[in-house]
Amino acid sequence: MKKIVIAGAVAGLGLLVACQPAAQQTEAPKKEVTAQKKKLSKHEKFKIALENQDKYQKACSNPVQLVPEGIDIETFKKEMLATVKFPEGGVVGKNIARGEKLFGDPKKGGKSRRGNCYACHCGDPQIIACGNIGPSLRGYGKRGIDPKETYIRIYNSWAVNPCSVMPRLGYHGVLSPEEIADIVAYMHDPNSPLNK
Amino acid sequence: MKKRTLFASALLAGGAILGTAAVAQEQLPTHLKELLELGMHPGHSFVDEGREMFHKPGPNGKSCATCHGQDGVKLEGAYAKMPRYYKDIGKVADIDLRILACMTKYMGYDKNDKKFMKKFNKWSGPYRVPLASYVASLSNGQEINVQLNHPEEKRMYKLGEELWFMRVGARDFSCGICHTVLAGKRIRLQGLPDPVKQKVYTHWPAYRFGSDRMWTMEDRVRSCWKAYFLYVKQWNEKKDWVKKPPPYSEWVIALELYMKKAANGGTIEVPGLLR
Ligand code: HEC
Ligand code: HEC
Repeated sequence: MKKIVIAGAVAGLGLLVACQPAAQQTEAPKKEVTAQKKKLSKHEKFKIALENQDKYQKACSNPVQLVPEGIDIETFKKEMLATVKFPEGGVVGKNIARGEKLFGDPKKGGKSRRGNCYACHCGDPQIIACGNIGPSLRGYGKRGIDPKETYIRIYNSWAVNPCSVMPRLGYHGVLSPEEIADIVAYMHDPNSPLNK
Repeated sequence: MKKRTLFASALLAGGAILGTAAVAQEQLPTHLKELLELGMHPGHSFVDEGREMFHKPGPNGKSCATCHGQDGVKLEGAYAKMPRYYKDIGKVADIDLRILACMTKYMGYDKNDKKFMKKFNKWSGPYRVPLASYVASLSNGQEINVQLNHPEEKRMYKLGEELWFMRVGARDFSCGICHTVLAGKRIRLQGLPDPVKQKVYTHWPAYRFGSDRMWTMEDRVRSCWKAYFLYVKQWNEKKDWVKKPPPYSEWVIALELYMKKAANGGTIEVPGLLR
């Protein structure tokens, strides 16, 4: 049985690569190069990505996906708030157009679909393809909310609502402080389609 | 059989009403329901393609049928018990990995042959997806019956449950966020199903109109991981995005085991049909 399998495997290779030793020769140095660069295998990468789970995510990883008993919610919020970095120019940015792009079009937010707020929130009545996971942001700028609060919510929603479904976009570096400030500007601008 | 002849082949297959699980049907747009009623189910051409491949000899002259019988008679009901532990490979395998193991261990295909592996992994390739669809269809009408007897099966189930609720990545997501907590809500326009409560496993592998492809559960689980935005912080804090877990890896199979166990008692009707 084993013999047949091995013979079959060699025959199979033979069809693709005419000359076996040559194939081995070209393969050997390749391995060395990758070893030098310390390129991680897909397996190793995925494992590290899972090990990157932070202690807050770990706390929220339970069947109800909420802060478990025994963890103080106020402390959790305080620790999350302490991670929020503010941009030099203040929490209301100048580039409203960029804010609109990041808020809306996932393709224009870069390859990682960085903002993509419409996946979960409705807002601009022209945009019908919007999710109902988070509350509607229609008329958000007219609610008298402090822009700093909006900024914190987007930077790290867990500073407001620990274990929330809303991703911590600034905390993970998905959006930079300046980009978040531009989204805030778009959301609070009286001329924004959200508020008209 | 060419996939592009799907409508013709489905028509030839006759006017039988080809069912999919009730859950899937509810979500189907009207034009797909109509196609089903006419007996036109594109997934069937993949099953046919798989049947042909099943009887085709591998590099050492053996075909799947050599071990599993003409028309796979010995595999009837096998899919209902998968994923499970297999002694010959020493692992818990799902249908994709089981097929790969059979081809490389017993039929003379070479696991280290990159060309072969690429062809095997490929969505539109001739091996994995058609064979999985065909083998799964041999369990049609049977109830899903996944048991946790072997210690490895117990360990993998626990891992699957843990992964289901594991918040991780740049989006702080878990399977449970979208499919347990938010089930019934909409992400953009896409409704979120609950694969655990709804026993969706009964209609997998499934043909999806949106992508014009047959998907195995491997494909589904790995694609859902993409939503997480997993990253590796390696050099100078630069983030290296990781899209999907490697195919046939423990992470994928553990989640499949977790979901399929929850579907125990559900009646298998494949190929499924999704939007
Ligand atoms: C995966 C889902 C998701 C995404 C993506 C998301 N949010 Fe949210 N958001 C929520 C949920 C759920 C809430 C409800 C409150 C909570 O749990 O924090 C919320 C709440 C909010 C609130 C508070 C609303 C109120 O009425 O008090 C603001 C403001 C907000 N989100 C802005 C944004 C912006 C801006 C973006 C994109 C840059 C965004 N969200 C992306 C899910 C999301
Ligand atoms: C950000 C949201 C999101 C996350 C996180 C997510 N999924 Fe999904 N999943 C979806 C959407 C949306 C669909 C429906 C796709 C469709 O119908 O076209 C889906 C479909 C599925 C289905 C098929 C359901 C059916 O009706 O047959 C399964 C199974 C599934 N997901 C498993 C998982 C697993 C396992 C994980 C975790 C590894 C996961 N999902 C994480 C959004 C998500």
